[in-house]
Amino acid sequence: MPDSAGARRPYLQPLSRSWWLKHSFFLRYMLREATVLPLLFFCGCLLAGLYSLAQGESQYQSWLAFMAQPWVIALNALLLLASFYHAKTFFELFPRVMPLLPAPLMIAGQWLGTIAVALLLLWLFGAIG
Amino acid sequence: MNQPKRSDEPIWWALFSAGGVCFAVMIPGLVLTLGLLYPLGLLPEAAFSYSRVQQLLQSFWGLPGLILAGTAICLPLFHAMHRVHHGLHDLKLAKGPLTKVLCYGLASLLSIVAIAYSGIIV
Amino acid sequence: MEKTIIIQRYNPEQDQAPSAERYQVPFDHSTSVLDALLYIQQQLDPTLAFRWSCRMAICGSCGVMVNKIPKLGCKTFLRDYPAELTISALDHFPIEKDLISDMAVFLDHLQAVKPYLINDSKNTEPHRQTPAQLKKYQKFSSCINCGLCYAACPQFGLNPEFLGPAAIVTAQRYNLDSRDQGKAQRMPQLNGKNGVWACTFVGFCADVCPKHLDPAAAVNQGKVASATDMLISIFKP
Repeated sequence: MPDSAGARRPYLQPLSRSWWLKHSFFLRYMLREATVLPLLFFCGCLLAGLYSLAQGESQYQSWLAFMAQPWVIALNALLLLASFYHAKTFFELFPRVMPLLPAPLMIAGQWLGTIAVALLLLWLFGAIG
Repeated sequence: MNQPKRSDEPIWWALFSAGGVCFAVMIPGLVLTLGLLYPLGLLPEAAFSYSRVQQLLQSFWGLPGLILAGTAICLPLFHAMHRVHHGLHDLKLAKGPLTKVLCYGLASLLSIVAIAYSGIIV
Repeated sequence: MEKTIIIQRYNPEQDQAPSAERYQVPFDHSTSVLDALLYIQQQLDPTLAFRWSCRMAICGSCGVMVNKIPKLGCKTFLRDYPAELTISALDHFPIEKDLISDMAVFLDHLQAVKPYLINDSKNTEPHRQTPAQLKKYQKFSSCINCGLCYAACPQFGLNPEFLGPAAIVTAQRYNLDSRDQGKAQRMPQLNGKNGVWACTFVGFCADVCPKHLDPAAAVNQGKVASATDMLISIFKP
């Protein structure tokens, strides 16, 4: 009788580092995860803003000047897009993790929250009303 | 299979989830006003003036300052560093517990700084 | 009408790694990938090895990668593909020969979550269940253990110790069953770093599941259950 255990030679292809480039589903996943990169930059900006506020008016003015630099505005524009993509994916995942209400209702409710906060901030900083 | 040790991940996952809500609900409006419209000159000059921002953050016993630090800095930081931590694992760049300590350590440190400075200006 | 089927062949007695072989297969509207494999084995090349049984998407044996997406051969049709399609063994499992994977890791993980009703009651009466109680777990009860979700899961590919989608779905299925008392025995497996916490909600498992039972949702509802379990353990040591 042949030795069946000895004849076995299973082949396992280890997952390559670039597995997420293999098809669009994984690419979209990595894009979702990467939305935190511009977010990290903005958190740093806000932290610097709070610090400058404590340092006095001239420090705060130079922080505002930093925020108005074209490359900073460009990164923040990217963050706005990233935050919408994050919101879309996050809002769609939430009803699957906690199915409290019908999913479309939960998704709509969360978008309403985002819109309400944006309107509140626009009103607070004089863009409307 | 042996009984595995309980993971501490629920703590980081709870912070990640709370931060994810902040990222989706707070950040779009904030980056739109502070990061885009104001620097582009599309909001009144006084909207983010030194005195107005100080006054805004210090009103109601400094609660707005704390809310800003919590929902726009601390929780989003934990959200972001959680994804960075798992992203490094996905890219096979994670180096065991070190990556985890660095990721959540940075988020914790910057959160303390944010809360401290939100309090200093109060 | 014919299509070209490219199969990743691997013979453990001769090959160092799998290599592609091409076959011309006639097809019509009803030809499944499994039909095509049977045609190749019976008409063109009797050495081709693959698993199959029921031909109706319930035995879960004929899982293969079709154009790099995990599919059941019997539930996938040549008509939906262009003139060429590539078939290989399921990703993330060791290949024994051709399209036959070694599913032992998956079966070990499934066994670890005790996938059966655990009930100490000596009561010989039937365990009655209301439609509402049935509804709680029913959506997770149709798993056929085909392993497609493991082939779809990069976290399992990166870390083969991850319990994985189907095992966690099945743990949830029994944990949510009103007749079951085994949750305390299953939670320690889910609570570990290779339990629910190895998942990052990639979500591809839900796309490929031939029974549409959303394993990603089950795993992430398992995270809520595990976090709750942790809170309870803090207040009630």
